[in-house]
Amino acid sequence: MTSLSIVGFVGLSTALLAISTFGILTRRNFILLLISIEIGMNAAILDFLYFAAFPTGSHYFDGLQGQSIAIVLIGLAATEVAVGLAIVLALNRLKGSINVAEASSLRE
Amino acid sequence: MSLVTTLLDFLPEILLLAGALLVFLVDALGLRRIEVVGSIAVVTILLALLFVFADLGFAPVAFLAAIPPGQIDVFPPAGSTPLYWFTSLGLFFQTFFLLAAFLVALASMSRPSRERGAAVFYGLILLATLGMMLVAVASDLIFLLIAIEVVSIPSYLLVAYTRRDTRSMEAAMKFFIVGALSTVLSFFGASFLYGAYGTTNLFVLASGSAIANGAAGGGGFPLLVVIGYSLLIAGLAFKITLVPFHAWAVDVYDGAPDDVSAFLAGGTKKIGLFAFFLVFLGPVLFAKVAFQWFGGIGPVSFGPVLQVLLSILAVVTMSVGNVLALMQKSMKRMLAYSSISQAGYMLIGVAIGTAPALTGASLQVFAHVFMKSGAFLVVAAAAGLGVGPLIADWRGLGQKRPWLSAAFALMLLSLAGMPLTVGFVSKFVLFSAAIEAQGYFVWLAVAGLLNSALSVFYYGRVLKVIYFDSPAAAPAVPAPEGASPAASGAAAGPDHTPTAPLALGGLGYARAATIAIVAIVIVVLGIYPGPLLQPLAAAAQHFIRLGL
Repeated sequence: MTSLSIVGFVGLSTALLAISTFGILTRRNFILLLISIEIGMNAAILDFLYFAAFPTGSHYFDGLQGQSIAIVLIGLAATEVAVGLAIVLALNRLKGSINVAEASSLRE
Repeated sequence: MSLVTTLLDFLPEILLLAGALLVFLVDALGLRRIEVVGSIAVVTILLALLFVFADLGFAPVAFLAAIPPGQIDVFPPAGSTPLYWFTSLGLFFQTFFLLAAFLVALASMSRPSRERGAAVFYGLILLATLGMMLVAVASDLIFLLIAIEVVSIPSYLLVAYTRRDTRSMEAAMKFFIVGALSTVLSFFGASFLYGAYGTTNLFVLASGSAIANGAAGGGGFPLLVVIGYSLLIAGLAFKITLVPFHAWAVDVYDGAPDDVSAFLAGGTKKIGLFAFFLVFLGPVLFAKVAFQWFGGIGPVSFGPVLQVLLSILAVVTMSVGNVLALMQKSMKRMLAYSSISQAGYMLIGVAIGTAPALTGASLQVFAHVFMKSGAFLVVAAAAGLGVGPLIADWRGLGQKRPWLSAAFALMLLSLAGMPLTVGFVSKFVLFSAAIEAQGYFVWLAVAGLLNSALSVFYYGRVLKVIYFDSPAAAPAVPAPEGASPAASGAAAGPDHTPTAPLALGGLGYARAATIAIVAIVIVVLGIYPGPLLQPLAAAAQHFIRLGL
C-alpha cells in the first residue's frame, strides 16, 4: 500500500474529477450525465479514504473521520442520483426525450 | 452534553422536520387542500421563528430559550472539534431564512385550493428550510456541505413539483446538473483540505495552521490548501450565483413556478453567503503567514490573495448582473439578474472581513429576503391577474392596481437603494464599511455606488412602464393572438381548475397580506433600522472574534 505516493493518488482522483467535470459539461444524454456526477463524487470519496489512511502530519488528524465521511458521501451521492433519476423520468414522460440539448424553451 | 440537551438545542429544526412529516402524512390521508397543508407549514415556521428569537435572547420570549446564553458566541474547549457551534450571527441568519420561508408559505396559501402538489410544495419548503437552519450553525466543513445538500435536493424538486410544465421541468434539469457539479467540486475541495489539515473543523481551518506549517516545511501543503480553497470557491459560487458561475440562475428563476422563484432567490441562495462567511472569513482574517508560492511567486500570504480574488469576484458579479439586467425584456429574468448583482454586493462583506462589513452584508441579506421574495411574489400575483411575463405587459398597471403597483414600486426602489428604504440602510452600512477599511477596498465602495446608479436605470424603466405608459398604448394583448408569449408564463399553473375568484379582485387575502408585510418592513426598518442594526453589529463582532 505504501508504495503509492501522495502525488500518484491525488493525481488519480484529480483525473477522475477532470473526467467527471468534462462529462457533466459535454454529455447530452442525461443518464451519462448522472454517471459523470457519480464519478466525481467517487473521486472525492477516494480522496477522503486516501488521506484517512496516510496522514500528512497535522496534529488534529483523525483517520476515523475521513472514513466516516466517505460512508456518508456514498449515501449522499446515491440520494442525488435518485433525485436526478426522478427528474429524468418526469422529463421523459413530458417530452419523450432525455437529451439535455433539446431543453431549450428557456431563452430570452 | 447529554442527548436531550443536544436535541433541545435543535428544537426549531426538529419542529420543521415534524412539520414536513405532518404535511406529508396529511397528504397521504387525503386532506390535501392548500388551506390545511399551508396552515400547518405557516404555523410550524412561526413556532420555529419563536424559538430562534428566544435563543437570541429576544426579551419578550427569552424564557423559552433552549440554548443557555453562555453557550452562544464562546470559544469551543481547547482541542475539541465540534460539528456545530452556536453564534448569534448564525441565529440571526436562521431568522432571515425562516422569514423567507414564512413569506413564501403565507403567500402561496392564496393559490387555488384544489391545486395538485400543494402538500409536496409545502413539505419541500419545510425540508429546505431545515437545511438552511443547519447551514447557519455549522462549524465543520462536511456538516456545512451536507446541510447545503439538504437545501439543494428539495430545491431541485421544488422547481419540478408541478411536473406538467415543460419550462419548469427544464429549469429543474438545469438546476440539478449545475447543483450536482457544484456539489462534486465542493466535496473534492473539502477532501483536499482534509488532507492538508487532518480535520475538516472550521475552527482549525480558520486558523490556517497548515498553511503556516507548509510554509515552514516547504512541503506540498500549500498546494493542497490552495487547490482545495479554489474548488470550494467554485463550488459555493454556484450556490450564491457569482458571475462566472451564474448562468443557471436566470433560467431557473425564469422557469420555476413564481412562488418557488421567490423562495430560491430570497431564501436558499443566501446559504451560499453564510457558507462563504464560515469558510473564507477565517483565511481572510488569519492566513497572514507569507510563503513561497509554487512557481517561485512570493513570498505572499494566502489571506490577502484571497481578499483580492473575492473583491474581483464581487465587482465582476455586480457589474455583469446589472448590465445584463438592463437588457432584459422579461420581468422575471430582469429580477433574476438583479438578484445576481445583489450577490456581488453581499460578497463585499466577506472580501473586507471587518465587523462593520459583515454587518452590512448580513443586513443586505435581510433586506434582500424581503425585497426579492416580495418582488417575485408580486410577479406571481400579477400573473394571477392575467399580466404577461414581459415587462411591457405591465404597462398601465399603476392605474388598474394602485396598491399592488405601489408595493412593487417600493420593493424596486429598495432594491435600487433609495433612501428611507431598508435597501438604502444595508448599502449605506456596507459601503461605509468598505471606505472605512481603506486601501483598495474604497474602490469596492465606488464600484458598488456606480452599480447602484446603473440599477436605478432599469428599475426606473419598470416604474415608467407601470405608471406612465398608458394601457391603451398596447394593442389589446389579452386576445388569443397575443397569447403565445403569455401562454408559456400562464402554463406555470396548468392544474388551475376553474375555482371561485379569489378575494380582493383576484389577489387573495394571504398574498395581499404578505405583500403588505414586506412593504411595511421595508419602510419601517428603512426609517428606523436601529433595533435590527445594533444587535446585528454586536453579533458580527462576536463572529469575527471567534474567527470562524
